[in-house]
Amino acid sequence: MRRLPIYFLLDTSGSMNGEPIEALNNALSGMINNLRSDAQAAETLWISIITFDREVKEIVPLTALETFQLPEISCPESGPTFTGKALEVLYDKVTKEIRKGSPTQKGDWKPLLFVFTDGKPNDLQSYAEMIPKIKSLNFGAIVGCIAGNKDIATKLLELTNDVVHLDTADSSTLKQFFKWVSDTIEQGNKSMGTTDNVSLPPPPSEVHIVI
Amino acid sequence: MNDTKLYIQNLFAVKKIAIGQNRQQLFEDFIKKEDNEQIVKTIIEQQNYLMDKWELKNRVADIIAQQLTIPNATVGKLYKFKIDFEQLNLTDLIHVECFGLEEMGLAFNKNESIIEGIPNQNGELSFKLLFKIINEAEDSIPNEKIIPIVINADPKTLWKDIPSNRAAPFWKKDDIIASGKLGDKKIVVASKRGRSHENVGSFRDDDFSFKLIEEIGWSAIAVADGAGSYPLSREGSRLACIAVIDYFEKHLEKETLEDFEHKIFEQQKSNGEDLLNEIKVLSKQILYKAVLFSHQQIKNLAEQIEVSSPELFNNPKAKNALDYFHTTLIFTLFKKFDFGYVVMTFGVGDCPIAIVNKEQTETTLLNWLDVGEFGGGTRFVTQADIFHSQEHPMASRFNFKIMADFSYLFLMSDGIYDPKFVVEANLEKHERWLEFLKDLQGENEENVKVDFSYENKEIADQLSTWMDFWSPGNHDDRTLAIVF
Repeated sequence: MRRLPIYFLLDTSGSMNGEPIEALNNALSGMINNLRSDAQAAETLWISIITFDREVKEIVPLTALETFQLPEISCPESGPTFTGKALEVLYDKVTKEIRKGSPTQKGDWKPLLFVFTDGKPNDLQSYAEMIPKIKSLNFGAIVGCIAGNKDIATKLLELTNDVVHLDTADSSTLKQFFKWVSDTIEQGNKSMGTTDNVSLPPPPSEVHIVI
Repeated sequence: MNDTKLYIQNLFAVKKIAIGQNRQQLFEDFIKKEDNEQIVKTIIEQQNYLMDKWELKNRVADIIAQQLTIPNATVGKLYKFKIDFEQLNLTDLIHVECFGLEEMGLAFNKNESIIEGIPNQNGELSFKLLFKIINEAEDSIPNEKIIPIVINADPKTLWKDIPSNRAAPFWKKDDIIASGKLGDKKIVVASKRGRSHENVGSFRDDDFSFKLIEEIGWSAIAVADGAGSYPLSREGSRLACIAVIDYFEKHLEKETLEDFEHKIFEQQKSNGEDLLNEIKVLSKQILYKAVLFSHQQIKNLAEQIEVSSPELFNNPKAKNALDYFHTTLIFTLFKKFDFGYVVMTFGVGDCPIAIVNKEQTETTLLNWLDVGEFGGGTRFVTQADIFHSQEHPMASRFNFKIMADFSYLFLMSDGIYDPKFVVEANLEKHERWLEFLKDLQGENEENVKVDFSYENKEIADQLSTWMDFWSPGNHDDRTLAIVF
């Protein structure tokens, strides 16, 4: 069976502490629940969650949705945003975990990556170094999401053209965002050209596309 | 120093009551008084009792807070999980019971600490673990720990069957079947909308077409699979197939074909290597024109539709109108001669063509598949680059074969190949094709059988029923054409 691997890279730096992290937990849990009742997703989806602040943690290794259990995500009261370091860990994981098609192995669907952040990377050099490497992994889509301060979009746009902005990281906005994420995921398992990417569905009003 | 004295001394010290030098004897007498000794003993006992009680409460709170994750279950699937109390450091639990499992179709086997059963409802559910710990009173109320459990729905029940919109441009029937004669052989074909399309009300992207072109005596069969991520691919696949048949029927130059057949006859007599090579080149030229014709027909349509219905072309991903019609294409052209069958094939995309010899001792895969690094990544007849690719030369997409006879000739879309052969390498294995044949003949979970006897009039329906097989994760359109 073909797997559709989804990677979530979630910012848990100090600024996410409090209501935002609580809203993120709720929205993630709602999304997982939603995906469980989607026929296609229930059979093919594999999910990995990596959080980053001062430290990068793989809080759930790539796991089939059928057996997936979402842990409570917490964040420190303060601390930097090591996005570059997070991409390093991600690169490592993806190269090890993704199955490529060969005459004797069924290839995965192109993996999808969702990066959720509310701050500029504090490790700019490492971030810049990782960008070409991450791009070389040939994700079906890389979606960057910024909550709050829109100024940080330029940094994310270096990683992907698909960047969205949320005014706030409150419960209802995040819920809408992750609903859109699951719609995007449902686009991920269709036949396409060898070099094509996944098309993103139109986002809800709370989610603004950043150009 | 005895306990009583020490206790009272400490008590007085904490309370800042000093005992003067001149009162030492009085203090000694005081602690020796029997009732005071008794009082201290009682106090210590009470304190110990309080501490023990706290310890119990504390422990119970720890147990309630301790994360206890149990694996997810699935409706209709036997579930069995042993709660390993030792590993969880919960050996002090006594009188363990579970409450709320029955409603889910599960039960707790106390003796073996096993949760088991066949779940009957899905969701993010929870049940209560009722327990007491060692040293808690027999008659105390049991403590409650809530344990969450995820029960997945039975995947089969999640699929919806939403009809496709008949008013949409290029609507096509969800399922079609066909059977008939191709000279002295028979053909049966079925093409079905995949569950992934039924689930969202989209269209079947697969298609096929076949015909015995009486005038020339050649039979053509085409199968195409429209690209799921392009909105008008269903028409691309239909037109790709129709165009191939159309080309051989109406546009193939008679003299070229006569010359080609003549050379085949000659080669059969002379067995000349050079002539055979010349024939192979000619064969490619003949088929190539059909491929080009098919590509051109779709291109023409795309350009027309772009003018007449520009609103259909709103996908930012597509570079030109033709992209909307992306489709793979495989086809074969075969004819019976007195020395045997000449079978020619072409393929672009990930749909295989294979032929099994008369004795069923050998199967030949007649095309190579465009399979990318990732699932779904393939190539299309609608891509101009396939015609001049250095990496995957057009010439390598054709095949030419002469066989005394054959038992089966298969053309299938990836909706069949993915679940039944899984990987490309298996298509090269004769034994996998024999298994596939047995599967068709009834050796499958559903006991659905396709009867290949020539008198069977139900064969197309049987094939269609067979094609409903369940395979987790494989819910693409399915098309299978069999010449036998």
